[in-house]
Amino acid sequence: MSRPTHNLIPGLGLGVIGLYFVIPLVATGAFSLWEGGDKYGLAAYAALIHQPKLWQSLGLSVRLAIQTILVGLVVLVPAVFWLNLRVQRLRPLFDFLSVLPFVVPPIALVAGMTTLYTGPDWFVGTANYLVVPYVILALPYTYRALDVGMRALDLKTLTEASQSLGAGWMTLILRVVVPNLTTALIGAALLTIAIVMGEFTFANILLFNTFAVYIDYVGQTSATQAAALTLLSFLITWLAMLGVLFTGRGGRGQVQIGGAR
Amino acid sequence: MSYLQLDAVAKHYGSRTVLRDVSIDLKAGEFVSLLGPSGCGKTTLLRIVAGFDQPDSGRVVLEGRDISGLAPAKRQMGMVFQAYSLFPNMTAQENVQFGLRVRRQDAAAQQKRAREVLELVGLAEHAQKYPHQLSGGQQQRVALARALAISPALLLLDEPLSALDAKVRVQLRDEIRRIQQETGVTTLFVTHDQEEALSISDRVVVMHDGVLAQVGEPAAIYGEPANIFVARFVGAVAELPGVVADGSGGMVTVLGRQVAASRARGMAAGTRVYFLLRPETVRLGPPDAAGMLHGTVIARTFFGALTSLKVEITGGTDCVTAAMASGDAANIAIGSTVSVNWDPDSPRLLVA
Ligand SMILES: Nc1ncnc2c1ncn2[C@@H]1O[C@H](COP(=O)(O)OP(=O)(O)OP(=O)(O)O)[C@@H](O)[C@H]1O
Ligand SMILES: [Mg+2]
Repeated sequence: MSRPTHNLIPGLGLGVIGLYFVIPLVATGAFSLWEGGDKYGLAAYAALIHQPKLWQSLGLSVRLAIQTILVGLVVLVPAVFWLNLRVQRLRPLFDFLSVLPFVVPPIALVAGMTTLYTGPDWFVGTANYLVVPYVILALPYTYRALDVGMRALDLKTLTEASQSLGAGWMTLILRVVVPNLTTALIGAALLTIAIVMGEFTFANILLFNTFAVYIDYVGQTSATQAAALTLLSFLITWLAMLGVLFTGRGGRGQVQIGGAR
Repeated sequence: MSYLQLDAVAKHYGSRTVLRDVSIDLKAGEFVSLLGPSGCGKTTLLRIVAGFDQPDSGRVVLEGRDISGLAPAKRQMGMVFQAYSLFPNMTAQENVQFGLRVRRQDAAAQQKRAREVLELVGLAEHAQKYPHQLSGGQQQRVALARALAISPALLLLDEPLSALDAKVRVQLRDEIRRIQQETGVTTLFVTHDQEEALSISDRVVVMHDGVLAQVGEPAAIYGEPANIFVARFVGAVAELPGVVADGSGGMVTVLGRQVAASRARGMAAGTRVYFLLRPETVRLGPPDAAGMLHGTVIARTFFGALTSLKVEITGGTDCVTAAMASGDAANIAIGSTVSVNWDPDSPRLLVA
């Protein structure tokens, strides 16, 4: 049975949205290949690849993203777990705290940070310092993802089952809770990567040469290279997504939420 | 000496008293059911034994040792929950091995033990399946195996069958009993289903509003209810208002007629009682002057082998239910007048 009208309208909608995303990308791609006049080629890419600064900034951003994910999860997994298991009534507070990064502009955060935070040089003096604001920026997404994931589990029963079997809190969280949150964790990690790879304000003001800062710098010197770099950053994000998805799939827990039939 | 001793355990939530000085003793190897209506505090009591809740006062003593302050993880108690509680990310076997892994047993010993208990619950061939690949009954079997794997000091079951359909429920219930007898593990089983409790327990603890209504063997709970709550809650019973007429002759006045009840012997004349008749002790016959009570058949319920007939006693709105072989019941039409008889030893009398 065919329902052409039913399929047409959503299809059309998707097509329009698709074009909305694809056209700028194609245009950027075309521009990145432009070598002046009517010459097209890979010159911009070639020039970029031979910039050691590109690789340094890229490496820095990737490292920061990973650190941010780890710190964020180490802090939030136990917190959201505790929220869902024991202190449900604090949910409004958690919800409020988690959206603060949307409310407070990054520029205010940065100003606050520079005056408030003092500490050992290996921390405040290095790019590691950026992990602090990045964890805060990623907080809303990480929190939401974890909260949704944990709400789908019967945490109380799983907790009590594992305790009655003799497990402590660490075993419970690492062996039971986290493995059942793969989807949520992938989501949180992806969003964090996207945020950290694209974050400009903090890095720029605190004078660290991250990937986004480098794109900006290149944009001021060579427009075609900036376009090439933008595409490259898209590619990285996509690869990251694929990679994380793939590792998630590869794990053995073919997790089906709900468990029971 | 008792194996598990609950000593005057009390629990409040806010102003609500959930358990009032509950004391129960379990012998080693005993299968005891906690039976009671919803909200009477069964789960709360079980959770206190497991260590998930703390009593406000009273003690939990296991083998002479007060474990009231011990964390659940240290109590060595196997628990099966009402909700499906298998770890979704682990296979049946991994679930069963979880407690052993926590105890850092070596891998070979873990696998051997897991195979043993999975065989015990009849799921050896499903060892590699994940919970979502198992039926509800199978999941509860794995949960039982998981609880047994750690050789628990006590097996705690909180309505493990309530999510299952009737047939599986009966199967698994009998199997739980068989496994309990095979392993000899002392078991506390929570249920609000009286048939479940009566059919598989050594002893039944009937609870009502946070107090123990009666503790005894299933036959005693059914046959000799200690109070009107137990009589009403366990099994069907017809309840007629009575007054002891003759304490030496064993006669009670029920609905204006003097009827025989040997248990009235020794009771003071004039004592108000609940006159209780179990359906299977009631005999219906043709109306005649010798009948103890008379009435009209007003309803019939067919149960297969048995049929129950509801009889409204003449001279009131009180009813008595008689259970009889369906073939015999077929001869009695609705609306017909019958005599209601019983063996004088059958009625139970509870002082009202
Ligand atoms: N954490 C709690 N906070 C407040 N009240 C509670 C809590 N847990 C249980 N109660 C109350 O205590 C009473 C007994 O609860 P419990 O779960 O022990 O009943 P139950 O006999 O197991 O009933 P059911 O057959 O429905 O499972 C109920 O009225 C319940 O509302
Ligand atoms: Mg309960």
